[in-house]
Amino acid sequence: MENTPQPMATGNGIKLVLAWGFVGIPLVWGIVQTLVNAIKAFQ
Amino acid sequence: MAVSFLNRQRTIAAPGYSRWLIPPAALCVHLCIGQAYAFSVFNLPMTKLIGISQSAPGDWKLTELGWIFSLAIFFLGASAAVFGRWVEEGGPRRAMFTAALCWGGGFLVSAGGVYLHTLWIIYLGYGVLGGTGLGIGYISPVSTLIRWFPDRPGMATGMAIMGFGGGAFIAAPFSVWLMGRFATPTHVGVAETFIVMGLVYFCFMMVGAAIVRVPAPGWAPAGYVAPAQPRPLVTTQNVFVYDALKTPQFWLIWWILCLNVTAGIGVLGQASAMSQEMFRGRVTAVAASGFVGLFSLFNMAGRFFWSSTSDYIGRKNTYFVFFVLGTLLYALVPYAGAIGSIGLFVLCYAVIFSMYGGGFATVPAYLRDMFGTRYVGAIHGLLLTAWSMAGIFGPVLVNYIREYNVTHGVAPAQAYNVTMYVMAGLLIVGFFCNVFVKSVHERFHMRAVEAEDEVEAAPVFGGR
Repeated sequence: MENTPQPMATGNGIKLVLAWGFVGIPLVWGIVQTLVNAIKAFQ
Repeated sequence: MAVSFLNRQRTIAAPGYSRWLIPPAALCVHLCIGQAYAFSVFNLPMTKLIGISQSAPGDWKLTELGWIFSLAIFFLGASAAVFGRWVEEGGPRRAMFTAALCWGGGFLVSAGGVYLHTLWIIYLGYGVLGGTGLGIGYISPVSTLIRWFPDRPGMATGMAIMGFGGGAFIAAPFSVWLMGRFATPTHVGVAETFIVMGLVYFCFMMVGAAIVRVPAPGWAPAGYVAPAQPRPLVTTQNVFVYDALKTPQFWLIWWILCLNVTAGIGVLGQASAMSQEMFRGRVTAVAASGFVGLFSLFNMAGRFFWSSTSDYIGRKNTYFVFFVLGTLLYALVPYAGAIGSIGLFVLCYAVIFSMYGGGFATVPAYLRDMFGTRYVGAIHGLLLTAWSMAGIFGPVLVNYIREYNVTHGVAPAQAYNVTMYVMAGLLIVGFFCNVFVKSVHERFHMRAVEAEDEVEAAPVFGGR
């Protein structure tokens, strides 16, 4: 079965940026903190 | 009104809803419950609640505090197994809301335990209530992700389970920062930290519950072409959750997960001590903690990488890679120690930990291939008992073998060699379990009408 593309709801782009930013920013912050600590450990 | 917000019918997506909103919804839950991996940052401060600068008589011991994490992991497996069907039939929003209540509530109850200096309240709060939130939260988005991403189920579930690995990266510095803010010369600040974390995690998880949607019946991604012929080892049928327990496939995959996790978890807790003892004088405690941070990153990245790869090479082949490559790498670690190559040691462990995480992340898609999408979340819940089992046996096995070697005169630098060979042996057993995985016999398949009834009725603990 092949599905025909459905129109994306207006405002989906903003919702996607907000949703991914909401989870992505803390995750990236945590990864950077871990990397900084790891680099300190090797120095 | 509030209850209807949680109803599965209220979560059916309107036309035009983007499926790429589902992974962040799942990550809202998994990033929070992944804090469990960072609980150890509270251990030392909680041994000084009375003495403040050092432990005083009446302060809790590390051995007593160790039970908090163990209880939480035990209740993760138990609640995922017990509530799996309830999660599946009630929909992801109700499950995420319940997980948020249990997880956030567990922190608040534990804060009371710290304030009253009563350890059993923390066992009850973080261990039992929080552990139940862990189990329900862990499985809550699995089947929803698989339904939204029929074309790439491995990648979709891998993203969520990567969040569980990544949660510790946020929780560890966040907890330390909060304790620093609340600490005074006469107070450690653990109780206040628990209160803030409980409230923050509850709100964060509720955002996920608000965003999440299930696809409308019959929905498929634009341009998705379902395979005309069923692919080998990928069923188009569904198996009822408790019927899955009667199949050899369930138990083979149970052992596959258990053995892969036992090998990984056993050395995960010992990576720091192992690197210092194998390279005595060359790896300091601080450098070893750097290694552990690095390995945790590979553990997280492996969850996404390997589960996404499994969409292309198949689940069975992915586990073959884990077992063959893992066996070689475990056997290579003693050689790295013997030739004094820290680089080879780190490389071996980085890949081993990526496959440890990959094992967790690929298993939901493996279950979906075997048992279909209808009860995959609940079946995954039952399978997580393998994790609880591995969580007990892995560390015990590593500690016991090391202790035995040291007391029998083996130098500390070589004390882990036998452990590595035993872990390689476990992976060989896992390899043969994987060899025997075949398609589920059709007598276990649900009838089409039966499967539709289950979806429409969505009873709570209703009869089959």
